[in-house]
Amino acid sequence: MGWILIAVALAYAVARVAFGYRAPESPLPCLTRGEAAFLAAAADATFPSGGALPSSGRDARVPAYINRLLEVSHPRMRLQMRLLFFLLEHGTLFFPAPGISGFRRFSALTGEQRVAVLEGWGSSRYWQRRLVFTSLRALLTLGYFAHPPVLRALGLAPFALRSPICEADLLYPRIGAHPSSIALTSADLTPASDGTPIALGAPIDPRYAENAP
Amino acid sequence: MTDPAGDLRVYAEYDRDFTEEVDVVVVGSGPSGAVVAKELTDAGKRVALLEEGPPFTPQEYELDGALSMARTMREGGLRATRGTVMPTMQAIALGGGSLVNSAICNRAPEFVLDRWCTDFELDHTTLSDLDPHYDAVGAFLGIAPTPENVQGERNLGFKRGCDALGYSSEPCQRNVRGCRGSGECFTGCRMRAKQSMDITYIPAALRGGARVLTSVRVEEVRTDGRRVLGVSGRVVAPFTGRPSHRFRVNARAVVLAAGCMATPVILQKSGNLANRSGQVGENLQFHPGVAIMGVFPDPVHPEFGATQGYQSRHFLRDGFKLETLWAPPAVLAVRMPGSGDAFKRRLAQIPHAAIWDAIASCSRSLGRVRARRSGLDPRLTWTLHRDDVPILAKALWTLAEIFFAAGARSIVPGVHGIPDELHSRSEAEILRTHPLKASDVVSGGNHAFCTTRMHGDPTRGVVDEDGKCHDYENLWIADTGIFPRCPSVNPMWTGMALAHRMAGILAERL
Repeated sequence: MGWILIAVALAYAVARVAFGYRAPESPLPCLTRGEAAFLAAAADATFPSGGALPSSGRDARVPAYINRLLEVSHPRMRLQMRLLFFLLEHGTLFFPAPGISGFRRFSALTGEQRVAVLEGWGSSRYWQRRLVFTSLRALLTLGYFAHPPVLRALGLAPFALRSPICEADLLYPRIGAHPSSIALTSADLTPASDGTPIALGAPIDPRYAENAP
Repeated sequence: MTDPAGDLRVYAEYDRDFTEEVDVVVVGSGPSGAVVAKELTDAGKRVALLEEGPPFTPQEYELDGALSMARTMREGGLRATRGTVMPTMQAIALGGGSLVNSAICNRAPEFVLDRWCTDFELDHTTLSDLDPHYDAVGAFLGIAPTPENVQGERNLGFKRGCDALGYSSEPCQRNVRGCRGSGECFTGCRMRAKQSMDITYIPAALRGGARVLTSVRVEEVRTDGRRVLGVSGRVVAPFTGRPSHRFRVNARAVVLAAGCMATPVILQKSGNLANRSGQVGENLQFHPGVAIMGVFPDPVHPEFGATQGYQSRHFLRDGFKLETLWAPPAVLAVRMPGSGDAFKRRLAQIPHAAIWDAIASCSRSLGRVRARRSGLDPRLTWTLHRDDVPILAKALWTLAEIFFAAGARSIVPGVHGIPDELHSRSEAEILRTHPLKASDVVSGGNHAFCTTRMHGDPTRGVVDEDGKCHDYENLWIADTGIFPRCPSVNPMWTGMALAHRMAGILAERL
């Protein structure tokens, strides 16, 4: 009897962790389906549509940003981020959301329940839970602000700036390239910045422009 | 401009194992290492400057905060201490932290240096001893107060608040020429106005004949009895750190300037080198930082202005220094409370907001640095001492006071157990009366020191006050690890002044 119970519990655990997730709308090679579903749900709970800023977490493609961040992250950090996602996605087993379906995994909760779960972590009297919340929200927020319309809506997109060409540009190739790829010569040097203040409302960097690729 | 007499090598050029012979090998190209390399080449020495990171040009800078950190910081900028969990960073780039810091330059206060001398048995490290070295570095880098026309409202509001309360304040002195107020210091200055080491000291060292090897990780200091012979290690790929060719640099002297969190790791990985005192990797100190966002009735336009243009040293003897702050909005938003609509409303206030911070001298709060099995990334432990918590509490209250004196309509303190938003000075009194615990505050580990501290007594310190290791005749350390205690102000200029002095002494002895 005991073995049967253990087997059932294990089967439930595996099913809960691994199955029942839809494939993300666009490929996210660094994320599992479960991680992508969790991040989409957490992003929408943190940045719902409407309100003071037009973009939602989903509009801002936060999971795609975190996929990219995982790609460039240190392996140890990558592991820690994955553990963080796992803990929060399945943490409702131990810290359930309000309501009768509160024990479902995070991505299967309603919008209100997700917000309540996140606020539970964020305002916990245990600093370790608050730390988990802060870490997750940091990642989501970084992803949200990487979406150019968010910075444009706030008027905080980086300015368009033309970098002066200085001696160092004649010395350093692009990262990974051979020095022979440096095409600049001393004839290309330009005057250093003259310290003229940037005007408020000056053009923004093309990468943040409305028609940016 | 003439072609450099020296030689810079980048990752794409390494195609085999190699050995170099020089007079001095300097490990680490941050502010201290770059000064040593340039001064020694000027003195006619053959110098190799080794850096694990690559050189960056403005085309390589990421404007996005997280991606910038992932490329320019060790562990992707996500390093944190254990014990009291606190994020802290270390750059991995040619020029080290100078590429991505806010360029604040302060001389260590006289009373701090006097205490260093008294408590750590030092003879010639008073302010008047160091002034000539501060002057030399300051002249080379053009260190000067931030001009008013690039301060912007978020910096000038701080001045207004301090003036109203009678607290002294001043424009930050910075190693900057021609700042236009883009506020991008932390992701790399696209205007090349910040005089970071990669565009100042390192090109100067190259002109003097230095060999600068990038993408090389030093794994061992080699020794023979009481002398060191040089260093060895591996070529590593940018960003991935994947090791390839082996190298060795033989030298008459070795200068470790890999930073206070990496130099002890190199020593520990070299057979617990130079540790007769037992102090290598001990005494880790930070300037823990706390910050408050203040929201003003009118737009602040925080996107414009020097990243950190104003400061107040009024409370240095109370244990903290106050500064203005700007960073990529994503990084600033991380500390804001709330979720969902409430969080979005708060984010929408950023154009009306300024962020001001305090860095604290928490010299009772100590930690340690230990090597991991591979690489130079350390295992850090650090605990905020309960007697240092009141310093942070007072700093938070003072910031709140300044905000309301400057005309803020509310502040967001970001402290657990305190309302998310406070709307008046009287409401902010809670910051003074609330019994604050270390875990209530989200602090950042700014600046790091003391892991190879100087001490006149060889049984209590790793180096003497010139930076020479007590245990070895020709092994020197030139980063902030040699500070015997936190300096109470931004450490870069002091580290460079000590490195400048050390380079002169080393040149004479070789």
